[in-house]
Amino acid sequence: MPLSLIGLSHHTAPVEVREQIAFTAPGDLEKALAYLRETLRGTGSEAVLLSTCNRTELYLATPESLSTDDRMHLLLGAHGAGLHNGGAGFPPHLIEKRGGHSVTEHLFRVTSGLESMVLGESDIVRQVRSAYSSANEAGLSGTLLKQLFHEAFRVAKRARTENDLGRGAFSVGHAAAELAETIFGSLTGHTVLLLGAGKMSETTARHLASAGATSVLVSNRTFDRAARLAELLNGRAVPYEEFPTHLQRADIVIASTAAPQPVVHRDMVEGVMRQRRQRPLFLIDIAVPRDIETGVGDLDGVFLYNIDDLQQVVAEDIAERRARAAHAEAMVREEAFAFASRLRAQQSAAPLVTEVRAKIHTIAEQELARLRQRLPNLSDEEWRAIVATVQSIENKIAHDPTVKIKEFAAAAVDEAEPAGDAAQKMETVRELFNLGVTTGADDGEPVK
Amino acid sequence: MTGSAATLTITLALYLVGAALLGANLFVRRPGFLAAGRGAAILAVILHGVAIGLRCMEMHRAPFTNPAESLSLLSWIVALVYLGTELLWKLSAAGPFALSLSFLLVLLGAALGGDTARSGAGAGSAHLLSQRAITLHILAIITALATFALSFCCAALYLIENHILKSKHGLVWMKRLPPLMTVETAAFTLAAIGFPLLTIGILSGLVRAIPGGMAAGWQMDPKILLAYAVWAVYGVYLWGRVGAKWPAVRTAYVLLVGFALCILLYIVPTAAHLFE
Repeated sequence: MPLSLIGLSHHTAPVEVREQIAFTAPGDLEKALAYLRETLRGTGSEAVLLSTCNRTELYLATPESLSTDDRMHLLLGAHGAGLHNGGAGFPPHLIEKRGGHSVTEHLFRVTSGLESMVLGESDIVRQVRSAYSSANEAGLSGTLLKQLFHEAFRVAKRARTENDLGRGAFSVGHAAAELAETIFGSLTGHTVLLLGAGKMSETTARHLASAGATSVLVSNRTFDRAARLAELLNGRAVPYEEFPTHLQRADIVIASTAAPQPVVHRDMVEGVMRQRRQRPLFLIDIAVPRDIETGVGDLDGVFLYNIDDLQQVVAEDIAERRARAAHAEAMVREEAFAFASRLRAQQSAAPLVTEVRAKIHTIAEQELARLRQRLPNLSDEEWRAIVATVQSIENKIAHDPTVKIKEFAAAAVDEAEPAGDAAQKMETVRELFNLGVTTGADDGEPVK
Repeated sequence: MTGSAATLTITLALYLVGAALLGANLFVRRPGFLAAGRGAAILAVILHGVAIGLRCMEMHRAPFTNPAESLSLLSWIVALVYLGTELLWKLSAAGPFALSLSFLLVLLGAALGGDTARSGAGAGSAHLLSQRAITLHILAIITALATFALSFCCAALYLIENHILKSKHGLVWMKRLPPLMTVETAAFTLAAIGFPLLTIGILSGLVRAIPGGMAAGWQMDPKILLAYAVWAVYGVYLWGRVGAKWPAVRTAYVLLVGFALCILLYIVPTAAHLFE
């Protein structure tokens, strides 16, 4: 069955195009899968629909090759909603892949995070897994796509583990949490103080909390805002005037007030460090204009990072991840080639096995019919015993050629021997079984 | 080649392999390198212990009666302390230093003592080492030096990490090194373990020297004076770290100075510590 895919992604389509064919609203995917199940019913086709905010892709395994229009109609039909110009604007943005190797490599790359907007992000594995499960539950996934997707999960795991694709910061908040861990180790038991209750400090605090920081203090000029954010973060609001006192307790400070002048001064931190008995203090200044005097960073045991520093960390991590991704890409390419070859071998061996088995079966049937004519007085019980014996002989005769044919195909794919040799052996099998030629009616000899 | 010498040769190779693997892991971060490096270190420590034990049985005496043996013992304790830091703080970054040091110490011992199996101590030293105070003196000082070596390594790591974090250059290395606070805690803990051992070592030496167990003028022996200096530096470190709350950078520099004095202490020419 040929594999193919159609869809679009952030590489090929801007968000205003992607959002037209997204299946992200509640119930969208279920409706789409129901449509596909109805449309493909009885054709033996398989389908998996992957829809995230960055991509919509329909993976298909169909008995016959489908044209681009057919696949496009399937995708648009699955979406159901009326599209601007009936989706006429899509073609320039489409990703289209046909054939085992091309589709396999694409899926392996997607699942490994190599096609993600944030290179190496891990959420895509969960999204692909979820898409496959949904298709499976909807009865749309069969043997072929099952093999393909399970292999994709294995390859993604290998690509991520061997190349550390998930390592490094993906955002400013993530970078702050990683830096805090390089200073303190585990953040469990450490206190975070938020100066200012903006969105950015909230996001950074969430990263720190997910890294283990157990206590969050929020201080803001408007106490109510501090209290609201503290509640969201399971922390405690402290009056803005008292924040210098709390600096003594905090290990990590995120400053993001809207103050036009620095609110944390060198003298203040110098005193705090004495009271902290020189315990390190990590200051994250994500405010513009900055909230913390630059000189604070010169103090021993104080580590001051502003928004540019954190963005630099993210940029360096991305560059490093890109270098690691080059190795992962080569690995994924190899894996895709191997899988597609195995698939091809399976598919090329299957017809010959079927023909060999059919030939043996036909001979057995003919011989049984002749025997029935010669011995009409056999009881039903005797006849059933004869049929069972013949079937058993039939299976035993067919077993070895079946195994050998699969071995020939696999050897050709694994390049254990030249492809020509394997093809020659397959041809020999055809000749031995005289395939494609009908058997003689009387003596079982092939008709020349 | 005797059993102990053969085992020691294998140990040497393992120290080198362990140091190389753990060093490579710092650069390429492969879990396989880390596991293999740790495995080599564990095996080396076990075999080295066996080699020292065999040596004792072959020579029928304590395994530190000549420079080669005492260096071998120091090397073994350095590696053993390193395994302890791995267990407590996962300080694999200290592995290349500790295992290379162990390798070099054994090699240096072999160079100094020639065939370690045959170069035995004189009757005088064997007799001396039968005294408990001297055995305690040597074991305590060797163990203290081993902990100071690892403490030095942690202090150096602290200064490197502090520099990276302050300068914001090469931050990618921070992901390959242990957390800053961990290395500072490890440096302090190791120095805090080594200091009382050094105190015991010095006191047990004095117990023997004061009643006249050493040659005249031992009070001005450079080795003994340096031992006091080392004791004073680590004492100042502990006071600065625990009492005066010095910044960690300052205390780290004190540890570097302390270890430099330890090296001097080991190599300084001495008249009072020759027992042949």
